[in-house]
Order: sequence, then C-alpha cells, then structure tokens
Amino acid sequence: MEVDSAPQQAGQDIGQIENADLVVGIIADISQEDIAEVCDALRTLPGNPRIVVLQNRLTSDSAPTDSAAATQDSSLSLIPWALHTQNSPTTPLGSMLAAYQSTLTVGARLGVRGCCVIASKLEHAPSKWICRLTEPLLEASCDFIAPSYARRKFEGLLNSSIISPLTRSLYGLRIQNPMGPDVGISQKLFQRFLDGDQNGKTGGSGMHLLASLVPLVLCGNLEVSQAYLGARSYPPTEWTHVSSLLSEILGPVFLAMEKNAACWQRTRSSSPVKSLNEATPAPHTTGTVEIDRLVHSFQLGIRDLQEIWGLVLPPASLLELRKLARLPIEQFHIPDELWVRIIYDFALAHRLRMISRDHLLRSLTPLYLGWVASYARELETAEENAIEHRLERLSLAYEVGKPYLVSRWRWPDRFNP
Amino acid sequence: MWGQVKQALYQSTTRFVTRLATLVPGFVALVVALLVSLLLAWVVWMIMRRLLLSMRFDERVSRWGLSSLAEWSPQNSPTLLVSGTIACLIVVTGFLIGIAAFNSDLTSSLVRGIVAYVPNVVGAIVILAVGALVARYVSRSVLIGAVNLNLGYARLLSVGTRWLVMVLTIAMALVHLRIAVGIVELAFGILFGGIVFALALAVGLGSKELVTKSLERDAKKTPADTAEEPLRHL
Repeated sequence: MEVDSAPQQAGQDIGQIENADLVVGIIADISQEDIAEVCDALRTLPGNPRIVVLQNRLTSDSAPTDSAAATQDSSLSLIPWALHTQNSPTTPLGSMLAAYQSTLTVGARLGVRGCCVIASKLEHAPSKWICRLTEPLLEASCDFIAPSYARRKFEGLLNSSIISPLTRSLYGLRIQNPMGPDVGISQKLFQRFLDGDQNGKTGGSGMHLLASLVPLVLCGNLEVSQAYLGARSYPPTEWTHVSSLLSEILGPVFLAMEKNAACWQRTRSSSPVKSLNEATPAPHTTGTVEIDRLVHSFQLGIRDLQEIWGLVLPPASLLELRKLARLPIEQFHIPDELWVRIIYDFALAHRLRMISRDHLLRSLTPLYLGWVASYARELETAEENAIEHRLERLSLAYEVGKPYLVSRWRWPDRFNP
Repeated sequence: MWGQVKQALYQSTTRFVTRLATLVPGFVALVVALLVSLLLAWVVWMIMRRLLLSMRFDERVSRWGLSSLAEWSPQNSPTLLVSGTIACLIVVTGFLIGIAAFNSDLTSSLVRGIVAYVPNVVGAIVILAVGALVARYVSRSVLIGAVNLNLGYARLLSVGTRWLVMVLTIAMALVHLRIAVGIVELAFGILFGGIVFALALAVGLGSKELVTKSLERDAKKTPADTAEEPLRHL
C-alpha cells in the first residue's frame, strides 16, 4: 500500500518529517481534547523520542479545521490523516482495518521503532493508557503489546468464543485479545508483516495484519506482553450482520492458521504472557439477552443447513447437533468439546475449500448464535467474576481438542470420526 | 422375350453386386476405424485415469469447489468422468472417420453436418455445466442468507432460485442446440414467470404471518423490552 493515497496536504506534512521514533495512529472517534491529552502524555515518554501522531480524518471531510490542522513541535507532530481512503473497503470494519496498514506504512517510511494504534473508545481517556502501549516499544523490550480489557459477560463474544481460545490453543499464548484492536507493534514485527505483504504471503488487508500478529510473534520468537487498558465500549452489532462479521473476521484467522500450520503444530501447551499492569474488576452488565431468538436461529440452521454442514462436520457432531436442536430452551447447552470440534472442523474445511469459503463462514452463524445462547443461559445469573472461570474452561477444551485438529489437519481423509 | 428378361435380371444383379462391392471397403474401413479408435480410447482412458489419480484429481476438484461434479460422475469419481468422456469422444471421432470412408455424398454430408453441429453440442454442455455450478452457488447463497435472516421459508427460496437458474440454463442450452427454438422460448417464459409468481406468492403469504407477529411483538413491548440488547460480538 502506498501512502500517496492520502490527501496531498497530509502527504506534504509527512514528507517534511525525515524520521521519527514512534507513530501513533488514532482511528477511534475521540474528541480534540482527548487527542491533545494523548499528545501531552506522549511528550512525557522518557528519552524525548520524536513522535508522529496521525489523527484520523475522513476523506469526505472538507479542508481541515483549525483544530484538525497539522501541529508540530520539536518532539511531536500531529497530522490529520485520511487513515482510510476512498479506495478502502466501504464497510466500517473494513475501512477501520485499512487504517492499520496506513499507519504501518507511514511508520515504515519514517523508520520508527514502533507503531501504536488507538482504535476503540475506552472508559478511561486514551491519555491514561497510551504510554503503556508505547513505552515498551521505545525501550525495545517488547515486539507486540496486546490489549486486555475489563471482561463483561456479554461483550467481545466472538473473541471469547473463538479467537482468543483458538489463538491460545494454536500458538500457546494466553492473550485476551489477540486481534487488538488497540495494539503496539515494534518495528521488527511490522517490518516482517510488510515484507510478507509485499511477497503476497499475508493477504494485504488490516484484518490480515491483526490475524497475522500472533503467528508472526510466535514463529519469529518475538516478545509479547499484555497491557490492561480498562473497560472498552464495544460497538453494537446488528444481529442481521453477524454472518458478515464472522466471514470478515474468521477468514483471515483461518488463513493465518493455514499459513502457519508448521509452526502451530509444534506447539504443545500454552503459557501466560507478561502483563504490564494489573487488571481491575469490571462494572456489572445490564440488559437481558433474548435467548429464545438465538436458539430459534440455531434450530433453523439445523433444519435447513444440514446439507452444507454435512460437507464440513463429521456425522458424530451432526448427530449431537440434531439432539441439541430438540432440547427445550431451558435445557439448551452446547458442550465445550462439541463447540471446539465444530470450530476445528470449520478451520479444516476452510483450508480444504470444501465449499466456497464465504459460504462456509457464513453458515457458521447459526452455530455461533447457538453457542452464544448456551453461554448466555449459563451466565445469565452469574456474577461478573464467573466469566473468567467459564472462559478458562472453554480455553482448556480448545487445548484438549488440539490433537483432534492436528490429526484431521494432517490426514483429513483418513481421520474422520 | 425370355432372353430380354434374363438380360435385365443379369444387369440389375450386376449393378446390385457392384454397389454392394463398393460398400465393402467402406464397411471394412468403418470397422477398422472403430477398432482403432476403441483401442486408442482404451489406451488414452488408462493413461488419463492413472495421470488424474496420481494428481489426486478428485480431491482437487472438491477443493476447487466443484464437488457437484462428483455427483454426476460414475462411482462419484470426477476422474472416471473426465477419462470416460475423453475416451467416448475418441470413439465417436473414430466412428465419424469410418462413416466418411464410405465416400458417398450422403455419408459425406452427414459427417459434415454432424461435425458442424459438434460446436453447438460442446457449447450446450459448457452452458449446462456452468449453469449447474451457478445454480448451486446462488441457491447456497440464498439458503445461508435466508437462514441467517431467520426466514422460515429459506429452503423454499433456495430451491426456487436453483430452479430459476436451471430453467434459464436449460433454455439457453436448447436454443444453442437449435432445438424447437420457438417452443423453448415460449415454455421458458411460462416456466420462469410461473416460478417467480409461485415464489412471490409463497414469500408473500409466508411474510404475512411474519409481519403480523412482528407488529404484535412491537405493540406488546414494554419500555424494559426496548432496552438495548447487551450482546456485543466484536
């Protein structure tokens, strides 16, 4: 990706800067005051590093306002930057992810020691935690700083149900949010990604970047740590768009899995990653979950999608799913072992291209909603601190089920229980 | 009188035998051409089968997303389908060469007509194959999309869509083969319109209940129900 896709003015501003130590890309929609505070916090970093802050500005905006105009001093430059351009994907998720790559490309051009991206709105202002993501990069003590957020029962479900435990099982790293979105990346790590991208190995979108980070860290023997950033405010998801979400997120995850198969097959167990600070308890979640609707989606999937799932799942799993669909809602529960096998089988089907990959990932939606229903029913009345135990159980099930994945991955035709 | 009859019979017998004798080399050539083509077809079939098996063609086909090809293949093996098709083509070509060896106007024009028609047949087969693949892809897209939208008639929509595409494909193939073009166009219009009308009726009648339920649910909703759902996926 070339940075000349950005507006000319911003390009000139970047062009005036010869080098820097750190690039911070602000994708999140945060106020000018917060941005000013972020800049002040960054100025306090030890060693007086040269910092470039790229403030996201939509291409549809007119000329930059006074507050959004580029400001520069000896140590920090704040540059309004169209982090997602007109050529970027049109979905909000797609354009946000394209912004990651813009930030990395600017970082590579300036030869920085690290890149950091602020992508989500947190309850604490970014100025309170930005240094946690940036300081280890400047000290060169860490290559990837993953965020950790205060856990709430029904938030980040895709991450809790698939991405985090799958990453733990495959790559042996217990990271709460392997795909960020608020991340710190060292020069060594992003250079590897960009090199791989130029060689066509990583796929080229921001999502591929986020899905490639942990595999690159593990396979490249790089250092990873986790920074607790507080409670995150998650964007609401329209339930009709869940299938698009699954397709957009899991596609790159499964692709990264395929590309790094030799690496993750050698990993036998998981270990915790270094935490840069202590987590604090999360506030309680309010609102009730419509479990009936979720179970109905699952039952509809069982009724109509068995023809497709039959190409992906072994008969034993299909039989168990059929039995589950007949249970009353009060007894509805998807066992962790079954859920883990389903995810592993879908990953394998993605690799073998048994059906169109988009169809495959979208057809996972009723099963995922079924898991959400089962999880919500289980934790509906539980305290917030029960989440950790519940998700730990799920992660262990993923680890226990890994030999199943390895066997099916190596001998997809011979090993089909 | 008797001499003239005898003469006429002799002449006609001679003509018959002469004509028959001229056909014999053609028959021999046809038999030889058929035998050679059968032998060649068998050799090519064996080579193709071994080559495709060594390439794991069946697995590759399913990986390419052409699993429907297996359903149409003998013993569910696309390898057998491809090698068998090539062998059949060789036998048919050998037969046509053998027919051409008769060297009469009738057989020559027959062969020319058949050869000229071959591109139409190939075109129609390609249209059918592509149409079947498109029909399967589109019907799967519709099925998955409709299930994810919680539509109770997802399967009906999917089957309807598949038949729409297949009817269109078959009509295109028949037109390409120049078989009863007028009837095909008329039948296609009636069938296509009929399927669309049936689907519209089915969806419309199905939606009636859905809309009623949705309105009832909205009307019954208390302020507590309208609170935002706490589920966050990403």
